[in-house]
Amino acid sequence: MTKDDVKTLARLSRLAFTDEECEAFLPEMDEIVAFAGTVNSEIEGDTSTVRLSSDEMKFDDLREDEILPSLPSDKILSNVEGDDGYFTVKRFIK
Amino acid sequence: MKEMVAGLEIHVELSTKSKIFCACSTAFGAKPNTHCCPVCTGQPGALPVLNKAVVEYAVRAGLALNSRINTRTHLDRKNYFYPDLPKAYQISQYDEPLCEGGYIELDSGKKIRLKRIHIEEDAGKLVHEKGFTYIDYNRGGVPLIEIVSLPDISSSAEAREFVEKMQLIMRYIGVSDCKMQEGSLRCDVNISVKEGDGPLNIHTEIKNLNSVSFMCEAMDFEFSRQCDVLAAGGKVEKATLRFDTSTGETYPMRTKEDENDYRYFPEPDVPVIEIEPSLLEGIKDSLPELPSIKINRYINDFGIKAQNAELVCRYHKVAAFVEGAIAEGASPKNAVNFTLGTIFSTLGTEEGKELFEIKTTASQFAALIKLLDTGKINSSMASSALVKMLDTGKDFTEFIKADDMHGISEGDLIDICRKVVEENAGTVGEIKGGKTKAMGALLGAVARATKGKADMKKAEEIVKELISV
Amino acid sequence: MRALIEKAAGMLRRGEISSVELTKAYIEEIKKGRAYNAYVFETFDTALEAAREADRRIAAGDAGILCGIPFALKDNICTDGVETTCCSKILSGFRPYYSATVYEKLLSCGAVLLGKTNMDEFAMGSTSETSCHGAPLNPRDTGRVTGGSSGGSAAAVAAHLAAFALGSDTGGSVRQPAAFCGTVGFKPSYGAVSRYGLIAYASSLDQIGPLTSSVSDAAIVFDAIRGKDSRDLTSKDIFFGKTNLTGDVRGLRIGYVKEYFDGLDPEISGAIDTAIKAYVKAGAEVVKLSVPELPATLPVYYIIACAEASSNLGRYDGIRYGARCKNYTDVDDLITRTRSEGFGKEVQKRIMLGTYVLSSGYYDAYYKKACEMRSRIRTRFDSVFSSCDVLFAPVAPSCAFPLGYAAKNAMDTYKSDLYTVPVNIAGLPSVSLPCGATKDGLPIGMQIIGNRFDDERVLSVAYYMEREHVFDLEEVEGGGAL
Repeated sequence: MTKDDVKTLARLSRLAFTDEECEAFLPEMDEIVAFAGTVNSEIEGDTSTVRLSSDEMKFDDLREDEILPSLPSDKILSNVEGDDGYFTVKRFIK
Repeated sequence: MKEMVAGLEIHVELSTKSKIFCACSTAFGAKPNTHCCPVCTGQPGALPVLNKAVVEYAVRAGLALNSRINTRTHLDRKNYFYPDLPKAYQISQYDEPLCEGGYIELDSGKKIRLKRIHIEEDAGKLVHEKGFTYIDYNRGGVPLIEIVSLPDISSSAEAREFVEKMQLIMRYIGVSDCKMQEGSLRCDVNISVKEGDGPLNIHTEIKNLNSVSFMCEAMDFEFSRQCDVLAAGGKVEKATLRFDTSTGETYPMRTKEDENDYRYFPEPDVPVIEIEPSLLEGIKDSLPELPSIKINRYINDFGIKAQNAELVCRYHKVAAFVEGAIAEGASPKNAVNFTLGTIFSTLGTEEGKELFEIKTTASQFAALIKLLDTGKINSSMASSALVKMLDTGKDFTEFIKADDMHGISEGDLIDICRKVVEENAGTVGEIKGGKTKAMGALLGAVARATKGKADMKKAEEIVKELISV
Repeated sequence: MRALIEKAAGMLRRGEISSVELTKAYIEEIKKGRAYNAYVFETFDTALEAAREADRRIAAGDAGILCGIPFALKDNICTDGVETTCCSKILSGFRPYYSATVYEKLLSCGAVLLGKTNMDEFAMGSTSETSCHGAPLNPRDTGRVTGGSSGGSAAAVAAHLAAFALGSDTGGSVRQPAAFCGTVGFKPSYGAVSRYGLIAYASSLDQIGPLTSSVSDAAIVFDAIRGKDSRDLTSKDIFFGKTNLTGDVRGLRIGYVKEYFDGLDPEISGAIDTAIKAYVKAGAEVVKLSVPELPATLPVYYIIACAEASSNLGRYDGIRYGARCKNYTDVDDLITRTRSEGFGKEVQKRIMLGTYVLSSGYYDAYYKKACEMRSRIRTRFDSVFSSCDVLFAPVAPSCAFPLGYAAKNAMDTYKSDLYTVPVNIAGLPSVSLPCGATKDGLPIGMQIIGNRFDDERVLSVAYYMEREHVFDLEEVEGGGAL
């Protein structure tokens, strides 16, 4: 793994690292990725037919299409400073 | 010879009552963040609970579009960061979509094949105003199906027909009202140019077109842009584009490299869904008659003119109304004619016809048409009564008195006409001699003899037949 | 091991003590025991109110066994109106306006919430040292960690700062701190307990479970919190009625999987062997088995857990709740800086690993392979449980680490989860209970693992240890509440 790889991953994860942090982080990432990679030596052959999920449910286990009351918007906005019922951020599109 | 090669991805908002993963309402137009709960605002610890109707509606759509339904299907997470996406992932389907294959047949007989149909959740809405971006999650979690076609489309006209046919089918089977102005139908277009037998050139993708006409404009612009690039010896670059409705041009979206790595993986909060074959059979049996089949039935079984049959069936609410009247005993011909004539003239716009919000019920309408069918009233009486009925929502009995109704049955009218013809041999001779104006005198005699209760149109037909002109 | 809940419930019912008195006594213990750093939020005012209500219910004869019993919740379980932060800066100040199903169930029983307990940030760790509030201390030896990630819950129960506590277990986070602190920790089958309101780390592995002073207490709490929940599609009714603790071990087939014991510290394997001998004496038999995939479960766990975590933790973007960075330039900057400032180093590392194993080009080699391995492991356990009823296994390769050890030995700490993660990978129930002590007096735990949804049997088999006093760990001093 290179410093650029770390930066790309950080970008995808919306995390920011300074160059020094990247440098410091690199060996740790290498170590954990190498460890995770040991799974490759355990599995040989084609895995293309693998079902990735296992638990199943029937159509009847699904929720009926019924409306229940929503929460008042002051609850929905109770953990932010909302504005007139909206969540807000600084404008980011002209 | 340059040919357009295009495929569509159409997002259709399903008309379920509640959202895809929570019991909040899907109704459009509420105050911001009032159709919200921990689930659809992505609060920590909240979990998605899949709405049964979403799966059912998507299966209906798949069956109506000739798709294969996967009886085992699962959801996936599509991960990306954007303020309208509260969990930073959209629950969608990646490698095991609910429906695969299928097609829509155009009038030309050409089939536009479908690749897949899958279910997913909509994102919230952003409003950019003054110094802020305002976020409303009411639309977040509204259920969508994404219908993906193969690149079988070779003109914007075909694309238009494809979308319009698809919209109509969705409305017929009751899974979506496809209101583009409320964003309940949006599409993306993949478009490239093929030159003769040459290989397909790189395609571009135009995102988020929210009306059929913009879609067509965008496709035409983009096609000629790509042709120009190629004609100048250039290469079309793979790009994601937007369409500027004010300039009528496409322009590239600003995206950073690797932004499109969505890191799909199976949604662990929703188990794999097993759909029993009996359920599919049940849904199949409950599907209503689709528009193309209905049009043929109107033409073949009812003897309705093709053009009129299509006009009625173009609006599923209109077709349902006519169908209802016919079921109550109205003759198909009169029901269709009065719908397309008197009723349509009160609706005016396309949108009016689409919404078809009229005060008269199918059975009220049928009662009136039956009077006409049995000759108890004539068509002008029927028409003027219908106008008043549409205006007030009242029954015909309010506007047609019992007296007026002793109309002349067809048999009686024929007898009266025969009598008039026999008594006016001279006038008949003039008409046969080419003096067509003399017809008025004959019909006047019929009107007098029937005290104005006869359907004069009908009388004219009968007289003409009797004197064979 | 003491049947604490039953004892307290009896005293409450007979009027020997009121819930208010009991709650006050626990509050005093918590105040005296603050050095353990077990609690990160205390809810004493509402606790006393709840206790008064419980007393009314007891007087009215409308009280179940948990009515009036004071308890603690791990800080990743949502509590309406009470801060719930996963011990992360990014959720500082977050007050949910909804409650986890388990919390609602306990409230409806009349149980009394004392506060929220310390944990590894977002449950990512084995020592609780990644908490933004600093590490809780092990009541058995305050120079050592409690284990993690439910370290605060384990410390609270071990030091008698709560009659019971709930934790969550993604890769051992209930069982391992229980073992380190000398309490009972039960990780139910995946699906037995609703996850609604549990702030997700890895959704396909997370399960809420009780930390208690005894197996019988664990069964009582388990009965109160389990069951299918319409808000969690992965939840199930695994059985109805009360967990029946027969403690009957005649004819029991104990599986002894050699991979669990290869190279294990002799002090630990010795303690487990002693326990097994007691069961054999009572009529159980030992079946020797092998799970060759066992070593591979660890990379599988880290791949799957981190992949899911990288997605689950995407929502902490500063927009709807929690911390928001100051003076951002645009929304991208807002999200990136909020996350960089709000998440601790371990969390960032796991998010990065999760992003990596899911990203294009690496998905097949990591995530997909891990899923394939996971299904092989499940198949293996299916066959294991066709030839035995329960497995006896260690919880961890060592006893509680000294404070600060994990930060310097990251890989070794990851590897110390080896014995607990297979249970999560396969969705099995497992109870961790004390089976011995080292010569230094540190508790040694062992696991009794059962087939999926065989939770009742697992608890019943463990109950034998308690009923027959096969091993009794010395109590931590204190416990003045009762």
